Amino acid sequence: MVNDACMIELRDVTKHYGKIRAVNNLSLSIRRGEVFGLLGPNGAGKTTTIKLLTTLSRPDAGVCRIAGMDVHQNSLEIRKIIGVVPQENNLDKELTAHENLLIYGMLHHVQNRNEKISETLKMVGLWDRKNTVVSGFSGGMQRRLLIARALLPAPSVLFLDEPSIGLDPQIRRQMWDVIRKTGIDGRTVIITTHYIEEAEALCDRVCILAKGKLIALDTPEQLKRSVGDHIVEYVDTQGRLVQHICKSREEAHDIARQENSSVTIRKSNLEDVFIKLTGGRIE
Amino acid sequence: MKKIGIWDAETGGFGWYPVFLREMLLFRRKLLKLGYLFSAMVVPIIYLIAFGFGLGKSVQIKGVGYLGFLIPGLVAMSSMNNSYTWVSSALNLNRLYFKTFQVLVQSPVTASSIMIGEVMAGMVKGLFASSLIILVGFAVSPDFTIHPLFMTALLLNCFMFASLGVITGMLTKSHEDTATYTNFFIMPMAFFSGTFFPVDKTPPVIKAIIFMMPLTHTNILIRKSLLDHQAMISLAMMAAYAALFFIYGWYLIKKYNE
Repeated sequence: MVNDACMIELRDVTKHYGKIRAVNNLSLSIRRGEVFGLLGPNGAGKTTTIKLLTTLSRPDAGVCRIAGMDVHQNSLEIRKIIGVVPQENNLDKELTAHENLLIYGMLHHVQNRNEKISETLKMVGLWDRKNTVVSGFSGGMQRRLLIARALLPAPSVLFLDEPSIGLDPQIRRQMWDVIRKTGIDGRTVIITTHYIEEAEALCDRVCILAKGKLIALDTPEQLKRSVGDHIVEYVDTQGRLVQHICKSREEAHDIARQENSSVTIRKSNLEDVFIKLTGGRIE
Repeated sequence: MKKIGIWDAETGGFGWYPVFLREMLLFRRKLLKLGYLFSAMVVPIIYLIAFGFGLGKSVQIKGVGYLGFLIPGLVAMSSMNNSYTWVSSALNLNRLYFKTFQVLVQSPVTASSIMIGEVMAGMVKGLFASSLIILVGFAVSPDFTIHPLFMTALLLNCFMFASLGVITGMLTKSHEDTATYTNFFIMPMAFFSGTFFPVDKTPPVIKAIIFMMPLTHTNILIRKSLLDHQAMISLAMMAAYAALFFIYGWYLIKKYNE
């Protein structure tokens, strides 16, 4: 039976590329209306998971479901309710912004197309550039157009694969505002990222992946709390960075007092969670 | 209800139109560049000058001047090259490098709609290049005429090779592989299937191989004015190849899996 609150479900999903196990027995469920983050380093299986859920790849084992439907047995129905912003910019760069959206709108059977295209372009701030060929756009503008394209058919589920990769910090924050707006109207949003701040800023819950496996899944706050709220950092006499994870601010200050060298106390982040759970780094 | 995927009922069978329109919008941009027109015409014009004007006055084939024989062959060759190459390289690049093919397969359109849209776009490009050669043909040869079998052969040839282009575009693992298929399959076919000389006097073994080449039947049919026995065989062979290539191309799109 389908749980109304569950929009996306992966059960025991495995996917190989040759001998590499890109996704390893992954099970998770994502609630309707949730902004859900898949966080992990390159090769963690984030993009493969997105490909499995967006009908581009078939799993070797396990089941992927969206809105209660098996993704690969109902691929046409699934494609009607999803929007995808891929990691690679796959806009038609020799076409204008309007032409890109027109073709996409036709492919997705969007009614009142011209009206919807205007609204969407205005939402991402590209209305005045609608007749500009995309190759003349900056990287940030092209990313915004990718999001506009995915939103045009008003999908119930939006997949954003590394939405701000390669963008400078200022443009990245503009992108976050656009993504926040898309999440407000109750659609389910799945974001893959290896930017810690992005996951913390946007996601209701975060799933940490490493080598295709689920390492942890919870709200960003809860994940950080599980490893310790504060981090004490200093460089030891041999030039190595030493970190202590502390459960409280008082504990952090106690450790800092015992050290002679210059010490930094900061709040923990998801990178610390990842390091604690896997021993590696995300970025 | 689960859809089988042959008929795109939701779009009234017009699911192919946005796929086709996208290719046409991109084609329109290319047409505005002078280089495209030049590249579409340069090879057949070189052959026309080298063979046609070189041999034209001294050679007659089946009572027709050599130019009258050569021009339909060049139309067949040019329609093959343009239908095939544009589809195969565009699909290959769109799938492996630009990733725009993924936009199509992630859309709620059937594999048959994608196949039809891509093939029709390939046909338009093949017909466009052929029409340039036809215009040159009318200008340089009084023996050159167009009749219903010529048009049938031309349309079927564009359809057949655009479908083959989809197959190559879907199967190749890099853009360099596309050139390999062209060099080992398309290029020899252009020369040995009756474009430049009649194939009936070739040795039986060679003739059997030539008879298996799809372009051979285009070259036979495009030069016929009456639907005789030989024309019917060629028409049947072309229809069979066209159906085979189309179905296999559709199957490859339907089974697409990254």
